[in-house]
Amino acid sequence: MTYLRRQLLQMGGGALVTLMQPAILCAAPLREVEMRGTGRGEQVWFRPHGLAVARGTTVRFINRDRGNSHTATAYHPDNFDRARRIPKTATAWDSDFLLPNDSYEVVLSEPGVYDYFCIPHEMAGMVGRIVVGTPRDPGWEGPSRDTSDVSEAVLGALPSVEDILNQGQISREDAM
Amino acid sequence: MLRSLLLPAALTAMSASLAFAHDTEAVKQSPPNEPYVQVSDVLPLPEFLPGLGTLFVDPETLPAGPFLAYDHDGRLSATVYMTPLDALAEGTAYNDLHLGMHEVTSVDVYYNAGHPGVEVPHAHVVLYHDEEAKGRLAQ
Repeated sequence: MTYLRRQLLQMGGGALVTLMQPAILCAAPLREVEMRGTGRGEQVWFRPHGLAVARGTTVRFINRDRGNSHTATAYHPDNFDRARRIPKTATAWDSDFLLPNDSYEVVLSEPGVYDYFCIPHEMAGMVGRIVVGTPRDPGWEGPSRDTSDVSEAVLGALPSVEDILNQGQISREDAM
Repeated sequence: MLRSLLLPAALTAMSASLAFAHDTEAVKQSPPNEPYVQVSDVLPLPEFLPGLGTLFVDPETLPAGPFLAYDHDGRLSATVYMTPLDALAEGTAYNDLHLGMHEVTSVDVYYNAGHPGVEVPHAHVVLYHDEEAKGRLAQ
């Protein structure tokens, strides 16, 4: 290999690394949560329904249920006057109804625990929890202690923060 | 005596038959006339629901229906009723419901967790109007 060729390769490699670095550094993390359902709508769920993400992560909710529409809606007074179950400084979101293959994205930056639900399926236990950052982060807000605005079924369907942080994400098995 | 007993019974049966017999000819092919509306036009649901097809309903009859279920060719294939489980448990009865078509070849009853329009757990009661209807509504 000639010096020139070696030099060009090194330059090229270096240039490539230089070109890639900003992309790597600037790429905001993206995680996906699917809305799922059985063929006849007997069961519906988010997958995963427990998810740990870094601050600033974009979470994309996408409807993979061919026969139903779903929402991803934060528990917050801005949404149907529900009791707040996301960090106080966080902005509430509501995807509105997503038809099959539609998606909605939200950026989660405030550290803490975010609980959300599907409007037509909350009674069926279609809820999820996202943990942003860790309890060591400044401004961290843990899970809501409110039990007056949600059913026992909803509370039972939400994974614990500890399990989510330990496992990274928690999914239920596909029902059928 | 027997005649006097049978006549009221016959009249009752006739009136019931008339009550159930809305114009089945008018709804055989999609779209049915008013007051029926296409469910996907008024609710955030796919136009064709796998297993149920394209649904039309008279909003005044919600939640039970009947929902008229059409296949991809617009042929009436099933009549569907949706009955909330809590309402049934609390004593609500859904009586004298209309049929889309009088011929029924089979019936499916199954649980549904909810969807826009009937956002509570409920039962789907599906009356298929011919042997191939279920297959045509499947996809």
